[in-house]
Amino acid sequence: MSATRRLQKELLKLQEHLPPGISLVQADNFETWLMDIKVLDDNPLYRGDTYRLKFHFSSSYPIEAPEVTFITSPTTPKIPMHPHVYSNGIICLDLLDRQGWSPVHNVESVCMSLQSMLTGNEKNERPPGDADFVKSNRRRPRDISFYFHDEKV
Amino acid sequence: MASYLAEQLKETGNKHFKNGDYAEAASLYGQAIQKNSSNPLLYTNRANARLKLHQWQDVIDDCLRSIELRRDNMKAFFYLAQAQLELHHPNEALSSALTAYELCTSSPSQTSSAFTIAQLVRRCKIEKWNIRERQRIRQRSDLLAELLEKLEKDRIGELQDIEDKERQGLVGRVESEDRRKEVDEEYAAKMDELRNVFAIADPKNLEKREVPEYLIDDISFEIMHDPVMTKNGHSYERATLVEHLKRSALDPLTRTPLSVNELRPNLALKKACDDFWDHSSGWAYDW
Repeated sequence: MSATRRLQKELLKLQEHLPPGISLVQADNFETWLMDIKVLDDNPLYRGDTYRLKFHFSSSYPIEAPEVTFITSPTTPKIPMHPHVYSNGIICLDLLDRQGWSPVHNVESVCMSLQSMLTGNEKNERPPGDADFVKSNRRRPRDISFYFHDEKV
Repeated sequence: MASYLAEQLKETGNKHFKNGDYAEAASLYGQAIQKNSSNPLLYTNRANARLKLHQWQDVIDDCLRSIELRRDNMKAFFYLAQAQLELHHPNEALSSALTAYELCTSSPSQTSSAFTIAQLVRRCKIEKWNIRERQRIRQRSDLLAELLEKLEKDRIGELQDIEDKERQGLVGRVESEDRRKEVDEEYAAKMDELRNVFAIADPKNLEKREVPEYLIDDISFEIMHDPVMTKNGHSYERATLVEHLKRSALDPLTRTPLSVNELRPNLALKKACDDFWDHSSGWAYDW
């Protein structure tokens, strides 16, 4: 697969048009991109905050899922509170998992899914075992198989 | 006995090939062929080694002999296409590459080669178009060059006129200097205008560079060459969809089980893609 060619086309589209609340921060190469997302409704958990996402693409993208994590930066100091987002930014979302990924997804659709995942959330909490996971995890997100026990969130 | 020896030589040749010693590998395959000249694999192996050594004509010879021994010879057609492309025979190369592609996709396993071969097909098409385009530009610019030359002659003629008049004392030095400047400016503008007119007249510069959404594969985001349809009626480029199904045997959109042999060629869409490739004047290849 030619990841570069596909990403070039995605980039052109993103530069032309982006859905509300999503912005492109950095895409100087075809390995790592930074995107910012905002929750658009008045959800008190996320009001006024912007969150930064780091996309990492392998050379097999889009056959292989990108690795997507929340990161902090001086302008985006928070990792969003969500029962599927660990405090180190690792996201547990079926769409990003090896089994749940589909090559028809793209950077924009992933951003929109994460945006709506936050929008629909009312729980001000981290996943169970967050502290232990964050302390002990040395694996990369794509090598972890999460158990999607709670499809409703 | 002879074929046993040939097999031994082939194995040693493969080892050298793996280590990157292509010259030695080619020579060992050659010795194997002397022992057993009826094994098509020996020729394709040597063709592959010779590809690495850039011995294009020898590659072609080996591939043709291998194909003689075995018709449905995907590898031989694949190597043949590469050598033909290197020797700037894009038409032959394209036809070989398409044969390799067909052999590959009609084989039950639909090996990972489909994607590589599809890329080679694309390269052949680009090369074919490049040659056509170079010819077109050459013809067009011949006419432009001729007209520019005529203008240049006129300019020199007018300058000569001014100089003659000055020499005969009909106009003063300052005035003739001004006239010379005017003439130069006038002709520079004319030539610019002529170049502009030619640029505007080139249909390539006017064409809208847009690709209809329905010709684009949702996985690779490329214009399709060989669209196949899934059960739900959605079409994808065969090579990329097969690549996906190897990792996950699910329909990319509905996430229901889907296997390679359930795919059907979408002939009408393929026709639309072919038409588009033929009529887009080449920019589609860079798109």
